[in-house]
Amino acid sequence: MLIRKTVPALASAAVMILSLSFPLIQAAAEQKTFTVGFDAEFPPYGYKDESGEYVGFDLSLAQEVCNRRGWELKKVPIDWNSKDMELKTGSIDCIWNGFTMNGRENDYTWSTPYVDNSQVVIVKADSDINELADLSGKTVAVQADSSALAAFTGEDAEPENIELAESFKSLQQVGDYNSAFMNLESGAVNAICMDIGVANYELEARGGKFVMLDEHVSSEQYGVGFLKGNTELRDEVQTTLLEMLDDGTFNEIAADWGLEDSVCLNHADKLTDESSKAEKSLGEKLAVICKELVKGVGASLAIFLLTLLFSLPLGLIISMGRMSKIKPLSWLVKLYISVVRGTPLMLQLLVVFFGPYYLFGIQTSAHYRFYAVIIGFTLNYAAYFAEIYRSGIQAVPKGQYEACEILGYSKSQTFFKIVMPQMFKNIIPSITNEVITLVKDTSLAFAISYAEMFTLAKQVAASEATILPLFIAGVFYYIFNAVVAFAMDHIEKKMNYFR
Amino acid sequence: MDLLEVKNVKKSFDELNVLKDISLSVAEGEVVSILGPSGSGKSTFLRCISMLETIDGGSMSYCGKTAVKEENGKPVYVSKRELTDIKHTFGLVFQNFNLFPHYSVLKNITDAPINVLRQSKDEAMKTANELLKKMGLADKGGYYPYQLSGGQQQRVAIARALAMKPKMLFFDEPTSALDPELTAEILKVLRELASEKMTMLIVTHEIDFARSVSNKVIFMDGGVIVEQGRPEDVIDNPSNDRTRAFLKKLEA
Repeated sequence: MLIRKTVPALASAAVMILSLSFPLIQAAAEQKTFTVGFDAEFPPYGYKDESGEYVGFDLSLAQEVCNRRGWELKKVPIDWNSKDMELKTGSIDCIWNGFTMNGRENDYTWSTPYVDNSQVVIVKADSDINELADLSGKTVAVQADSSALAAFTGEDAEPENIELAESFKSLQQVGDYNSAFMNLESGAVNAICMDIGVANYELEARGGKFVMLDEHVSSEQYGVGFLKGNTELRDEVQTTLLEMLDDGTFNEIAADWGLEDSVCLNHADKLTDESSKAEKSLGEKLAVICKELVKGVGASLAIFLLTLLFSLPLGLIISMGRMSKIKPLSWLVKLYISVVRGTPLMLQLLVVFFGPYYLFGIQTSAHYRFYAVIIGFTLNYAAYFAEIYRSGIQAVPKGQYEACEILGYSKSQTFFKIVMPQMFKNIIPSITNEVITLVKDTSLAFAISYAEMFTLAKQVAASEATILPLFIAGVFYYIFNAVVAFAMDHIEKKMNYFR
Repeated sequence: MDLLEVKNVKKSFDELNVLKDISLSVAEGEVVSILGPSGSGKSTFLRCISMLETIDGGSMSYCGKTAVKEENGKPVYVSKRELTDIKHTFGLVFQNFNLFPHYSVLKNITDAPINVLRQSKDEAMKTANELLKKMGLADKGGYYPYQLSGGQQQRVAIARALAMKPKMLFFDEPTSALDPELTAEILKVLRELASEKMTMLIVTHEIDFARSVSNKVIFMDGGVIVEQGRPEDVIDNPSNDRTRAFLKKLEA
């Protein structure tokens, strides 16, 4: 009895010691790290839990693979739009995060599919949208470069899906699912299209406020994506995954995450390495990129011009309030300026866009997105201009006011005829600085998913798997600013007629 | 008739009594020079009678019209409307000119007559050109202030003040920002104005000029008028020790 009991115990202890020490020995030599890139807002595949840990089905699988191979797992949350750059620069080894294979077959080296997923539509519980056909004329949100977007507009999209997308009023791309739900709740969009796994998780987490349509848009499969050509690492991971499938660990982990009905890993699926389609030529890529970016140029210009049009005069009024002798007014304006200058413009845009609903319960329309951009930028820049005006006004010598008083000018004559022209000359260099900053700041409109040029550049960069659009966007901003600098220089020279 | 009559004017900044009890009258056609060391209160006095500062005590009247009267020991200014009329009776020339840098010489001179006095543009231009000629600046009408020398700028400033057709002109150290050569230019203009019987009140450090041009010289120190009278009395035979000490320093 004693011996029989002891032998297996000893044996298993030896195995344990071996299995524990083996990775340790490896570590001493050079422990291999396995870096997984994932979108930290994509539950249940990968997200941040309440304790601040990155967890999820995919991360659990990756951890198990690492344990078996003696690798050290590094979890790197990435911006979904930048995933290709992350992969290409080697800062991550793979994308393992509910990553849809369909339509991307030739862009990555894939594992075999391990989850079968569908794209579904989420609407508000009290919505009158009951089937896909009801989406006609409505605004639908999808995550930028998501499989839902690919299902509607991708090169391999089903004709029926393309037709469905064309019936929408607009297809709005948002950065992450949290902002998608904020958009839906505030009325800025009417529906969200997303992966069923994510949808189930979100519906449960958000209570009964939203429902899923019974009809599905399309079905698709998830795989682990590696840099194209990195078959060596892929084969290692694939082998270990199949081992985990064979000993039941894979299905246990799937059950832990409530995905037992969705997983589809099996031995029958063949790895696909051969590229069946030719890569797009550089010329074709450039054409696509430029066509997309041009759409955003107008939007960026509109933000720029409208912001200046409203904030330059508003700044003057605010600077008056700031210098007012009525104390409560000047305190109020001071507070406003300090809040605007003390918080990020990006946050201010979010507050302007979502504030009406979340603070006052006012449902906003799809048009409001653009208004919110202009209101946010105007309020922000007016505060900066106000302080510039104030410095310019205070730089006008006291003697000028006294000369006006002796000559009998009224207060408004003094200000508009004598002080303002001198103030304007004083502040041109500071104004030039602000205007140049504004050109670049227009890109912050992406915070509320307004499709200005930089937002589009990031989207194209993601969908075409190249960072070229970002460079082209950079060149555009540079040229835009060269024009601005030239114009301001011209104005400055014109004002040199006096000193 | 006295164009300016000031009685018992007091002015203090916080706890500091800058003007203690100043009384003065200036008759039509009179040229009055105010002398005194720095900090004696002469510039403050000029700013008070120019109404750039309000007074804390006393009364002031211009051309027979009361601007400030004393009631129960407190100075009371008349209504804003009345003050506007009264302010048109005098002009002020500053130490550092205070021309409008963004206006041409002509516009500096014509803008207030057109927009404040509601003169026609032609009338204002005619007056301005005459004044520029008188100042020896007939060809400078299109220049901007920064293109002129200090002496030329001050002459433009005098022309600008004269264009408002004041009954009297106040000068606050009009030559202190100028070198001796340019100072001479300005004193020449002032002499010319004096010969035309322009009523003037001049705060200055130019003793020789004060002696030769003024009808009356006032010596101020410590916020009070120490001595006043004909220039030959005050400057050449001062009766007060402080006046004597000040004049001696200037000579040294």
